[in-house]
Amino acid sequence: MTPASLRTYIGTWIALMVLLALTLGSSFVPLHGFNTTVNVAIALVKATLVAVVFMRLRTSSALVRLAALAGVMWLLILIGLSFTDLLIRY
Amino acid sequence: MTAPAIAAAAKAEERETATLGMWVFLATEVLFFGVLFFGYIATRLRYPEAFALASRHTDLTLGTINTGVLLTSSLAMALAVRSVALRAVRVGAWLLIATVALGVTFLVLKSVEYVHDYREQLVPWLNFTFSHAERAGAQLFFYLYFVMTGAHEVHLIVGIGLVTVMLTRIWRRRIEAASVAPLEVTALYWHLVDIIWIFLYPLLYLVSRT
Repeated sequence: MTPASLRTYIGTWIALMVLLALTLGSSFVPLHGFNTTVNVAIALVKATLVAVVFMRLRTSSALVRLAALAGVMWLLILIGLSFTDLLIRY
Repeated sequence: MTAPAIAAAAKAEERETATLGMWVFLATEVLFFGVLFFGYIATRLRYPEAFALASRHTDLTLGTINTGVLLTSSLAMALAVRSVALRAVRVGAWLLIATVALGVTFLVLKSVEYVHDYREQLVPWLNFTFSHAERAGAQLFFYLYFVMTGAHEVHLIVGIGLVTVMLTRIWRRRIEAASVAPLEVTALYWHLVDIIWIFLYPLLYLVSRT
């Protein structure tokens, strides 16, 4: 298993910094209630970049990828079920 | 199989097992922070105006600089693992020192921010004063702000400790290209702490800046 190239890592870091500038900049532009959506979408892209490149999911085995995905899946189940409770109560 | 081939296969399996184990642990960490994030979503849906107001009182400059610091620390960490795997152990050690330095920088800046928060009377347990109709919701925002950033910092301190242990291991020549698994696993933990901050930053600092 050879590690990713230097260029890949530096490129990912540049992309992360550009996304940080983008999320900061977009926060000052009124987007008619969509500011949070944009911010969360950018955060998801950043998190995916870190997970896939820095955490090496790109070259990991299927089993490791499955374990990583399981965490996110359980989080979605947890939040989904809690939401149904929340929406019924209020 | 020859003896060296068997040894290499055993090392590869050790790496795979360690990585898998760490990801399973990280899944539990995701669920731990997930509870806090859900608490945030539920409270924000209830008090949207208060969250918008309260979020404007966070220190955007320091928060943004810290995000950059942590993202850069992740680059240093990833490059450290790469260097050690490619047998450039000395370069790897320096990159780990950079990682620790950036982690400590984050903690120092966050502490400065907490002092600002205290002076602005925003600490719910100590001196929260918010002369506005939205006081109740704003106080809940700052409860969440301190608990979430506090939990994140505890994780960062643990991360700094782990990287320091890896540095001493390299110093004692117990980590080299052939036995990089402990370092790789430490890096995974470090990156997860970074990912948690990636979500905390927009949710705490950028709620309403227009």
